[in-house]
Amino acid sequence: MKDEGGRMNPESRPGWQRFIPHPSSFILFFLLLAGCDNNPNPPPLREKRDDGSRWLVRYGGMSEDPRSFDPQFAYDQMSRRVMEPVYDTLLEYHPLKTDPYEVRPGLLDAVPVKEVGADGKPSYLCRLKTTARFHDDECFPEGKGRPVVARDVRYAFQRLCDPKVESPFLANFSEYLPGLQAAHDAAEKSGRFDYDAPLAAIELIDERTFRIHLTQPYPQLIYWLAFQCTTPVAREAVEYYDGKKHGGVVRPDFHKFKAVGTGPFRIVEYVPRQRVRLERVEGYATTSFPTDGFAAEAPEWLMALAGKPLPLIDEMNFSIIRENLPIFILTRQGYLDAMGVNKDAFGAMVTPGREMSPKYRERGMRLEKDVEPSTFWISLNMRDPLLGQNKKLRQALSACYDSKTYSDIFWSSVAPVAEQLIPPGIPGHSREWRNPYGFDLEKAKRLIAEAGYPGGIDPQTGRPLEITMDMVSVGSEDRQRSEFEQRCFASIGVEVKIRQNTFARQLQREDTGDFQMSSGTGWGADYPDPENYFFLLYSKNVPPAGKNVTRFNNPEFDRLFEQMKTMETTPERLEIVRKMNTLIAEEVPQILNFHKAFYSAVQPWAPRTQNNLMLEGGVKFSVVDAALREQKRKEWNRKPLWPLAVLGGLLALAAVLGIRINRRRYV
Amino acid sequence: MSVFFTHWLTQNLLVLAGFALLAWTLWSVSHHERWRRAWLRFRADRTGLVALVVVCLYLLLGALEVVRLPAGKGGPQSVLDLFLSGITTEKTYSAPLATTLLSSAQPEPLKGRHLLGTDALGKDVLRETLKACKTALILGGLTAAIYIPLGTLFGILAGYFRRRVDDAIQYFYTTLASIPEILLLIAIIFVLGQSLTSMCIALGVTGWVGLCRLIRGETLRQTERPYVAAARSLGQSHWNIISRHLLPNVMHLVVINFVLGFSGIVLTEAVLSYLGVGTPVGTASWGNMIDGARSELSRDPLVWWNLVSAATALFGLVLALNLLGDALRRAFDPKQG
Amino acid sequence: MFNYVIRRLLYSVPILLGVIALTFLLFNVLQTPEAAAAMAIGSKAPQQAREAWIKSRGLDRPKTEQFVKHVKNLATFQFGTSWKTGRELNEVFRQGAGPSLLITLPGFLAGLLGGVGLALYQVYVRKSLLDRSITLFAVALMSVPTVVYIFFLQAVGALMLNYFPASGFDWRGWETAKFVALPIIVMAIVNLGSDVRLYRTIFMEEINQDYVRTALAKGLSSGVVLGKHVLKNGLIALITLTVATLPRLIMGSLLIENFFGIPGLGNLLVMAIGTSDQPVVLACTYLGSLLYIGGLILTDVCYALADPRIRLS
Repeated sequence: MKDEGGRMNPESRPGWQRFIPHPSSFILFFLLLAGCDNNPNPPPLREKRDDGSRWLVRYGGMSEDPRSFDPQFAYDQMSRRVMEPVYDTLLEYHPLKTDPYEVRPGLLDAVPVKEVGADGKPSYLCRLKTTARFHDDECFPEGKGRPVVARDVRYAFQRLCDPKVESPFLANFSEYLPGLQAAHDAAEKSGRFDYDAPLAAIELIDERTFRIHLTQPYPQLIYWLAFQCTTPVAREAVEYYDGKKHGGVVRPDFHKFKAVGTGPFRIVEYVPRQRVRLERVEGYATTSFPTDGFAAEAPEWLMALAGKPLPLIDEMNFSIIRENLPIFILTRQGYLDAMGVNKDAFGAMVTPGREMSPKYRERGMRLEKDVEPSTFWISLNMRDPLLGQNKKLRQALSACYDSKTYSDIFWSSVAPVAEQLIPPGIPGHSREWRNPYGFDLEKAKRLIAEAGYPGGIDPQTGRPLEITMDMVSVGSEDRQRSEFEQRCFASIGVEVKIRQNTFARQLQREDTGDFQMSSGTGWGADYPDPENYFFLLYSKNVPPAGKNVTRFNNPEFDRLFEQMKTMETTPERLEIVRKMNTLIAEEVPQILNFHKAFYSAVQPWAPRTQNNLMLEGGVKFSVVDAALREQKRKEWNRKPLWPLAVLGGLLALAAVLGIRINRRRYV
Repeated sequence: MSVFFTHWLTQNLLVLAGFALLAWTLWSVSHHERWRRAWLRFRADRTGLVALVVVCLYLLLGALEVVRLPAGKGGPQSVLDLFLSGITTEKTYSAPLATTLLSSAQPEPLKGRHLLGTDALGKDVLRETLKACKTALILGGLTAAIYIPLGTLFGILAGYFRRRVDDAIQYFYTTLASIPEILLLIAIIFVLGQSLTSMCIALGVTGWVGLCRLIRGETLRQTERPYVAAARSLGQSHWNIISRHLLPNVMHLVVINFVLGFSGIVLTEAVLSYLGVGTPVGTASWGNMIDGARSELSRDPLVWWNLVSAATALFGLVLALNLLGDALRRAFDPKQG
Repeated sequence: MFNYVIRRLLYSVPILLGVIALTFLLFNVLQTPEAAAAMAIGSKAPQQAREAWIKSRGLDRPKTEQFVKHVKNLATFQFGTSWKTGRELNEVFRQGAGPSLLITLPGFLAGLLGGVGLALYQVYVRKSLLDRSITLFAVALMSVPTVVYIFFLQAVGALMLNYFPASGFDWRGWETAKFVALPIIVMAIVNLGSDVRLYRTIFMEEINQDYVRTALAKGLSSGVVLGKHVLKNGLIALITLTVATLPRLIMGSLLIENFFGIPGLGNLLVMAIGTSDQPVVLACTYLGSLLYIGGLILTDVCYALADPRIRLS
């Protein structure tokens, strides 16, 4: 085919070519425009404090959005992380005491003690601190915050019962606190909750004093008072922030993202999917840094904090970042003050001797190890005709499961192997205890033969025994995990089929019992008490009533559970716990896997002041050396210019080459 | 029933049947004038030939993995396994040709050498990359088996009968096309439960729209041509006209569409893996390997071999398919070249 | 013309209904109310709270009633609230459209301009080695999965060179550019490959037209012919071909937004899929179809405007 265009003369190269921007010019343009600063954090709220000293900001990350800032409603980790510095709780976990965990006064002036009334019913007398105040807010007269009074505590408990609040906590209290369930049912019937009616559980004595009545002993109540769901809330605030239009302005909704708190910080900004910003509240004096509980080898700077007024910083900035890679990059650049070292960053940061690697030690970063009070396991469905009936089979499955290697691969050997259901730090956890059906391949092979499946072969079909395992699949790592588990079971000849589910589908399966094995189940402690773990195997907690996913039903276990659940932690109680441990270890309703633990890399300017994982961050105890951070950031963010030159050179070369080739063809 | 389908012999026969069908189609159209001329033109197209050879290599590799061997316990499962039988599995990551594990916690020595290193579970990356060929081929093949008949049939029907039939078919595919594709894919996969088959069905359901539109347009044009009118006046049945006259005349579009669509499927698989609805556990796939890099890239020392091998393999196939598609288009429609 | 548009709009009603019905069906098969409740208010929530939640969302009503209400809400653009975050979806969409457009629109334009430039140049040097290598380059660009571009540019631009923030977004006037620069570059590269190929085909078709021959015969330089006539006529064809994709730019990009932490609609959708947030997914689907149909109508109108011979009837 003839090609007319071929006769074009290159000498008459048209001028228009010069005006069509080459894609590369966009790249250069943006490089010039943006190359000056790679800090994603917003500028601080203020330059200096009123007294002229430095304004201290901490930068942290959150993996997803909070759900609500309503203390009686929100339950998820991210909401709690934001609410903790904003709402002081009646009691709070002592930041320095973790083994065992201990509470100290928050808004209350002392940790209440149990009293037994004339009717034999227990109660707790509580008194609020005089310093406890709500933040200044336009919902109060003249915008001035008022002191917290006993009525506010009752109001909080009333809100737990209000069907409109949809509080997930009511069920935890209704058994022990009188009148709560009745108040809820009455409101359900009438369609409106009567907040003026008294509540049997909370007796108001005077402005600052109230008594919590119980129907039966419940020592765990102390821990619930350290939970955000019982924190006092101002009725003015809830009624003012109704999310409706007033005089042309839509007010925020208290039930969603408006907080009128009592803590050392207030929320100044929440931009969904971007960040939450907190600012220090002037005049806060409710709590101070503890004076006791310091470790013997505590450094001097930490000791110097004893008794200091809180908070120690002026602003907290949580960036919402969902991907791993950016968190790693931003920490390396000094734009985040700490990061959890996931298994992938682990190799970079931690040496075989469990120390910070030299590369990062040079940067002054420190490593902190945290063991979360949590346990993860694979649930075995006890109502399954195959697994439920065959104890030896369950034992074999447990004994072939190599938790150690699992932890090596997926937790960089940091997470301790779970030998028992109760995690470390919680009374009843025993360091000496060994799971009788922990990993032991020989034993597992023996057990599977005793179970009636020698070599994993089902004698009836002559084929390997098949079991289905359900899992939630979110990313490639989940797939790798279940592939590993599959391999473990294959080592005794059992063929495990993996069924991938959405999170919702998995929950549904667990609720209805439509599974054989369910992988990746775990429980993080709500409060440090063994009851919070054993109730997961209590027969009356089978879903949908509770979270006994395994459908474990053992009369002896139930009896012991009912006996221990409301006991004070005494040696007698620990003895019962030991018995229960023995019992479930033999029955194997779960294949225990690990206790979650991780290292965090901490920047030199933001050393840890506490390691308490019952706290959700402990923002008010954190410190920062802003001058050091500024200097390090400069050091760590040098922008080499040579790549730009190389890029430009390459483009020029391509252009020249293009023109040359062009000429050769047409001249 | 399920035993029947999982039996190695049945699987091989199914695969064989698939290839036979493909060969038969090619052979039967090769008599067609248009195809013969296209072949002459294609033969002169160097890029196209190279692309064809590359695609065939991938096909061969996939076929080696697809053909099953009688299952002995722990032994090789496919022909490819025979070739790769000497490769050991380690505990976890190791760098290409390294002698110890990557994990700094346990610098244990490796059992063997790995040209492209090993992944998180210690599987040899080279082997996984090669095995993933099969996944890509199955995805492409099964999906094509679903959407090509659908798209071609509906396209021809709409273009031939016009009026009501055309309206109904147009409504149907406009509705499907107006749902964001990725959402429809995910919804269907979720509903059917995650497996390779449901992925193929989902991809097929979303994929036929483009083909149907194309075929409809071409059929509309063809029915204006005198040969169709002649066939009609000769009293030939609708079926005859469609299968004898229309189908061979639109077949080249189907082939081009298939080749280009194949590359699209391979790329989509990578996106689906990222969204957590990729291939099931235990199936090697490039998408999964690439997705794994999300966390592997924040390791230090960087784990790059997984990403690089999978991305390179995927790139090779997709590039070859794209080039082949272009070459075919040039061959059939020289004006466009 | 006006009549035609009205007719097209009316025609789109059954399509939208079909879309709504199909997605409603799929998601109802997918998720029981109980599972939805557990997802929305947390798996630790007791049964009582879940039942209350189901009731308050009306999920215990008959399916037909729910469907009618659903259609009514969508038709009046009352998208309701997200199950997971409890936020008003209308507001969420308003806030998310900006960041999304900030990525996709410049990305689209860069792809367009770069594509037109390269394609014209290819036509200028057509059938040469250079022409073929540019095509090969374009095909190669298309053959790399988007994630790989993202990994590469994030690692190089943010981690190694410290030029750009690794992640994040903020409305900060001109400084906003630093957050979107890297995502836009990815977007442009992803678009460039297919754009170049498409535009080259368009311009090649133009170059074979009679008017080009006439212009050349008149003695006009080929540059002028390319730059003036071919570009002008080609652009018309090009706009009619690309205009259909324009409205969907609002929906953002799933992958890019997620990796760079851009709070756009694509990011929203990925999260909603991950958390089975049904109202968000259904509303996004509906919006997506609406925009798609809008694109189709736009295309027809463009055809009519470009070529007066086409009567829209």
